[in-house]
Amino acid sequence: MSVKTRFDRAFDRELLKEIQEKLDQGLLPQWLQTDPDIYEMELNNIFSRTWQFLGHESELKQPGDYVTRWMVNDPVLLVKTNTGEIKAFLNSCTHRGTHLCTADFGNKKTFTCPFHGWSFNLDGKLIGIVAGNKVYGEAMDKEEWALRPIPRVETYQGLIFGNLDPNAMSLEEYLGDLIWYWDIFLKRSDGGMEVRGTPQRWIVNTNWKCTLENFGGDPYHVPTVHKSTVELGISPSDPLYSSYGHQVVLKHGHCVNVNVASPGANLPPYQGMPEEMWSMFERNLSKGQLDVFYKTTVIVGSCFPNLSFHCPIHGSEGHLHNYLTLRVWRPLGPEKIEIWSWFLIDKAAPEELKENAYKGYISSFGPSGTLEMDDTEIWTRVVQASKGTMARDKYLSYNNLYNYMMGMGKVEPDSSWPGPGTAYPTCYVDFAFRGIHEYWLELLAKDME
Amino acid sequence: MNAELQYEINRFYYHEAYLLDNRKFEEWLDLLTNDIVYRMPMRVTCENKDGSNISENSLYFEETKKSLTTRVKRLRTTSAWAEDPAPRTRHLVTNIIIENGSADDSLSVRNSFLFLRSRAGDAGIEQLCGERLDVLRKVNNQWQIASRKIIPDQAVLGVMNLSMFL
Repeated sequence: MSVKTRFDRAFDRELLKEIQEKLDQGLLPQWLQTDPDIYEMELNNIFSRTWQFLGHESELKQPGDYVTRWMVNDPVLLVKTNTGEIKAFLNSCTHRGTHLCTADFGNKKTFTCPFHGWSFNLDGKLIGIVAGNKVYGEAMDKEEWALRPIPRVETYQGLIFGNLDPNAMSLEEYLGDLIWYWDIFLKRSDGGMEVRGTPQRWIVNTNWKCTLENFGGDPYHVPTVHKSTVELGISPSDPLYSSYGHQVVLKHGHCVNVNVASPGANLPPYQGMPEEMWSMFERNLSKGQLDVFYKTTVIVGSCFPNLSFHCPIHGSEGHLHNYLTLRVWRPLGPEKIEIWSWFLIDKAAPEELKENAYKGYISSFGPSGTLEMDDTEIWTRVVQASKGTMARDKYLSYNNLYNYMMGMGKVEPDSSWPGPGTAYPTCYVDFAFRGIHEYWLELLAKDME
Repeated sequence: MNAELQYEINRFYYHEAYLLDNRKFEEWLDLLTNDIVYRMPMRVTCENKDGSNISENSLYFEETKKSLTTRVKRLRTTSAWAEDPAPRTRHLVTNIIIENGSADDSLSVRNSFLFLRSRAGDAGIEQLCGERLDVLRKVNNQWQIASRKIIPDQAVLGVMNLSMFL
């Protein structure tokens, strides 16, 4: 006999309508964050169908260079072939499914499975079978047993993405107007950005949507979660300091916050990048992008479903500089993520700046960063308090709703904004949060009976 | 083998662990030379043929005395949430090997650490283990840490952050 509880509620049209109505009022049922059934639906409807970040072209320099990655639970082998093409395969032997390569990176001509010795070349072709002809006979068609490719692999400005859905829209269409904002850092200098070292990886007990939102639409958390830096005199004491600028809502759940300095603050243009690079910016960016970039202090946002980006102006010991960090929030269950954090800097930047920018990054971000270490504590607390009856009740009897109302009916889009998307003239609004969840809900509802 | 020196160095590490576990961070800073190089590279998984599994240009920490002092000051604010309420920590230091005692006032010391952390009401213990490669220098007749390289064993850290000093 099964007992129907207030946590058992089918995700049907009625429930969907109810969630949509709440969202329209700026409310999100709390149970959606870590519900196990929703998590399974997310894996099926979102992570199996949308573009996920795999790595950057600068991580694969020579033919034979490879890195291993994950698309949630699918192990991925990303390789540079002899012709310089980047390919992605399921990192699993076609014979009996063994995890083929467990190293993080390296250089190889062939990948040999340690189970029965089947080996594959850089194009994924099966090229060797131990005792092949004697056991499988001449008739075995090796072509049929090549490594299984990730159905779609596409790149934008060095960023490599994979998609498990062969029928997905193109990466460029999926990114859409996000490209206009990404170009401000990806395209501004000759040669683009390059990755330093390998990504930092660590585990946090939270949900992937919580971190996606944090980078995507939450400059409002900055003066509180990162108040320690205010107390130290590193960040401004004005509680509105991270509100100045625009929050931009884009299609497909993407969002960007473009911060500018507090009124009266005297910060250098172009995020403190050296003057000798300015001519590159002027050459590589459009007038609108240049105007935005000139005044920008921080560009931070999210590319649905689980990639975030953060490109801040950063000061240490009197020097101001800038860098880019990319994040993958890899779900490891409804209450756990593995964070992957890459550091990138302009290939054309002076070496000294690259080094200082890196130091600036590790002092503020990543697991050792004084800003992000406090974020991890808060993200953990959000999930910690969402396990109970009151939080998980799907009939909302306990007013278990998140408040996503900031700016609703109060802040109107800024029509003078030079960039695409719907831009609001402040970053203390929840339009991005709602944009993320609108698309999230749209994907969850797909194929619904 | 100088048993007295070994004893002295063991005592130094136990004292350091005591200061860190009792949040006497300012006193801990006094154990560091003014020119300390404090570094934590990343451990990576790579095939044996590819050599070292320490990625020297991928770091968690690249600190100076000044930046470590800033980190300590931050912990004394009212809003360093990762450390307030303070987690309970235990720095266990073992396998202390004095590698070179040629100069009277400088020693290379290798040791293993196991760091344990108990956060709020979590029954589970977060842990991190690895190796530290130190250079100790005698300043005004007191041992100080002139250089520390912390090498974690995990390529994917199981701790939610590195808000501690190692």
